[in-house]
Amino acid sequence: MTPTIPATRITRPAPAANPFATRFTRPGMIAPLDRAGRPIDVPALLDRAIALGPLVTIEGPHGSGKSTLHIALVRHAATQGRPTACLRSTSASDVWRMAAALGAIPRGALVGLDGGERLPPGAFVLIHAMARLRGLVVVATVHRPMRLPVLARCHTSPTLLAAIIDRLPSHGGRIDRADIDEALARHSGDVREALFDLYDRFEQRRR
Amino acid sequence: MSTSSDPRPPASHVLVQFCHADRQYEPLDALTVRYEVQGLAGEELLAVEHSVLWYTEGKGEEDLGVHFFERIVDQQQLPSANAPGGFATDLPSSPLSYEGVIVKIRWCVRVRLFFVGGRDFVSEYVFTMGQLPPARMPMATQS
Repeated sequence: MTPTIPATRITRPAPAANPFATRFTRPGMIAPLDRAGRPIDVPALLDRAIALGPLVTIEGPHGSGKSTLHIALVRHAATQGRPTACLRSTSASDVWRMAAALGAIPRGALVGLDGGERLPPGAFVLIHAMARLRGLVVVATVHRPMRLPVLARCHTSPTLLAAIIDRLPSHGGRIDRADIDEALARHSGDVREALFDLYDRFEQRRR
Repeated sequence: MSTSSDPRPPASHVLVQFCHADRQYEPLDALTVRYEVQGLAGEELLAVEHSVLWYTEGKGEEDLGVHFFERIVDQQQLPSANAPGGFATDLPSSPLSYEGVIVKIRWCVRVRLFFVGGRDFVSEYVFTMGQLPPARMPMATQS
């Protein structure tokens, strides 16, 4: 039953959210963009991953959008009715845990493997064999070339960071282009760290 | 804030009214919410979820706690253009809303609409519980 309350309207705006908070900026919240700030054609990239499989990589340094891209691929594969799974490596000792997980994933699945750079190079031989045996397509994020087919290389730029910020909730004019350039330069092109930097600037300017 | 998992711009939106017009509540207060779904434009609702929850907002790991949740699937109880929806709950004693620098705690009401075509749409309205003063920015130290 619908409760009865006085017919009042909201009179006080909610406190403004910091648009650079993790809840708005974590991988998966914003569609992947290229260095020029244009949306990446995820369906085409998924087709390419399937054609190149069973193990492909997304290369790029810290904070360049690898996780964002691999999450977008997994989500798109799921919308196509393909089984999907996401794995995350946190240390070199995850090799056997990864192998066990791959053995349990349904055949034909698209598997996103985040943090692949933490695995020893030999681990990819095992992952490749498991993926082939199980009919999987594994998309692994790595920091450097691994002698595997490269699905995408991620790069950042001030234009990319500005395009990301355009897709976040409004910062009310508290952040300008100079802030964007400075934040990205200070963190050597790491967009994740630059967004944290901008979080702090936003807090300083709204208090 | 409203979000949708569908890339198309949502045609519908939810207008929420709180029993406290200023959205300021104290711990253990009764919270009553009424809402109208506007702009349905012929889209048929499959289900609606109501929730009252808190979440953290900041630069690091996020946390949240769901205080109240219900899912309405009975077609006769679903809101429509002519029949507003609503729900009520008693708030808990904690955590209090907090406007920190590194981390904030926010309470909110969420209304999530699920449409027959598979689209869903979430509306979120923040309210305040308690009266903790906002944190002040630490002053830069001078050497």
